Amino acid sequence: MSVDLHSGQRASLVDLLDRVLATGVVVSGDVTISLAGVDLITVRLRALISTVREDME
Amino acid sequence: LSGSATYLYAVARTPVPSLPLDLRGVSEAPVRFVSEGDLTCVVSTVDLDEFGEEPLGRNLEDLDWLARVAREHDAVVHEMARSMTIVPLRLATVYTDDASALRRVGELRATALATLDVLEGREEWGVKMYAVPQAPATVGAAAPRPVSGVEYLRRRRAELDQRSGDAVAAANDADAVFEQLRQISVIARQHRPQDPALSGVTHPMVLNAAFLVDRTRSPEFCSEVDAVASQRPEGAVVLTGPWPPYSFATLDEP
Repeated sequence: MSVDLHSGQRASLVDLLDRVLATGVVVSGDVTISLAGVDLITVRLRALISTVREDME
Repeated sequence: LSGSATYLYAVARTPVPSLPLDLRGVSEAPVRFVSEGDLTCVVSTVDLDEFGEEPLGRNLEDLDWLARVAREHDAVVHEMARSMTIVPLRLATVYTDDASALRRVGELRATALATLDVLEGREEWGVKMYAVPQAPATVGAAAPRPVSGVEYLRRRRAELDQRSGDAVAAANDADAVFEQLRQISVIARQHRPQDPALSGVTHPMVLNAAFLVDRTRSPEFCSEVDAVASQRPEGAVVLTGPWPPYSFATLDEP
């Protein structure tokens, strides 16, 4: 996978993720993963991006 | 396991205006309305190969996939919010079929209708604040080289004091701005500060707030934010929006 977002795009993506992942109606779907799983996403993304950044440095 | 499922974007009050022609949702699927009684669900059909529990778990950790789906989701929610009051759902809320989406929304009918009442005629604005240094540090900047270890330590202590003082001042300033803007809003809430590793912004974030504002008061809100920004260093205050009311669409599970 590639992380080639410009800083502006990346900032606006993070603003969007704040809203569509961290908030919004928490109604459990009967197919989707549990809420706990969703909360883990940002943690995993953070780890992923730190790794990518270290690789670039 | 393959097959299709129903992706739920938002809930609105029936009757709804007609759908924009050829509106596409995640992965290019056509957006549809399905209604029961006074509630309408905004949905599209998705593939379980992509949105089933196991593939979804994997996809959510792929930043390119997540960015694409978040933008496709947002495009539908934005378009819907232009023509009617909606309660947006969290990204990737997926049901086995239309009937099971309607059943779940039906269970939340009372709170959904109450939330729609709160959101009517209102929109969301985001305000972020960063602790941006006022100017190049004055302590020690133009000072001659320290003549002794004691002198060096004294200057170093002064620098650190100033820095921690700056952090406290920035936090207090953020609190004051939040209070000031809250007065113009209907509801205000704070998101967790964004991680610099994710946002790419290195200045410490001291405020990540969302405000639900009457549309009629949005110009007043924006000029207040402009005024706040003009009194602070470049880049210390960032306004985003208007957003669909993502941050205020929390329905409590019964």
